[in-house]
Amino acid sequence: MNLRNRLKEIRLEKNLTQETLAGSVGVTRQTIIAVEKEKFVPSVRLALQIALALDTPIDRIFWLEDSQGGKP
Amino acid sequence: MTGMKAYYLSRAVISAGFGLLFGLSGSPWWTAVLVGAVAFAWFLAAPHIGRYSVHPEFGVTALRRDERAQGINDKAARNAFVISMLAAGGMIAYYAAFPAIAVPVAALRWILILGVVVYYVSDIWLRRAQA
Repeated sequence: MNLRNRLKEIRLEKNLTQETLAGSVGVTRQTIIAVEKEKFVPSVRLALQIALALDTPIDRIFWLEDSQGGKP
Repeated sequence: MTGMKAYYLSRAVISAGFGLLFGLSGSPWWTAVLVGAVAFAWFLAAPHIGRYSVHPEFGVTALRRDERAQGINDKAARNAFVISMLAAGGMIAYYAAFPAIAVPVAALRWILILGVVVYYVSDIWLRRAQA
C-alpha cells in the first residue's frame, strides 16, 4: 500500500507557501516539496504536525492506497 | 526578538568568535576577518540550502537536520561504511596472498578517501532522488 497525500492542494487552499509551512513544522522547504511529490514518506509525528499547522484532519491530507489504486 | 533574529544575532557572535580565535592564534588580521565573514556567510546560507532547518530555541546548535535530511545522512554513512569495509577486506585478502609484502599505509589512506567520496556521492544522489 502506498501513502498518498493532497498536501499541495490543501496548503494552497490555506494560502501558505512551502517555506511558511516548513518553518511552522520545523523542517526544510525541500522536505515539504518531497512530501508533496510523494517522494518522501513523513513520520507519523511530522504528518500530525502538518495536519495541525494546516488545521485539517490528518485523513483529509494523507491516506493509504492499495496497489490497484483504490482506497482500502 | 523573533526566532530568526535570534538565530542571525547568535550566528554573528559565533562568527566573530571564529575570527577572534584566528586572530589570537597569530594569523594576520585580514585572515581573522575573512574567516569570520566566511563563517557568517555560511550561517546566512545554511537555512536555504535544504540540509538544515533552523531551531533558534536550541541556541548554539540551532541548525539541525530534519527527518528527511537525517535519513539521507544515515543511508550515505551506511554506504560509505560498507564500501570502505569491503575495500579494506579486499585489500587485506590481496596482501595475505603475498606474505612477504606488508600492507602499505598509503593504501589505508585511499580507503578513507574512498569512504568520503562514497558518502558525498550517496548524499547527492539520494537528495536528487527525493527532489
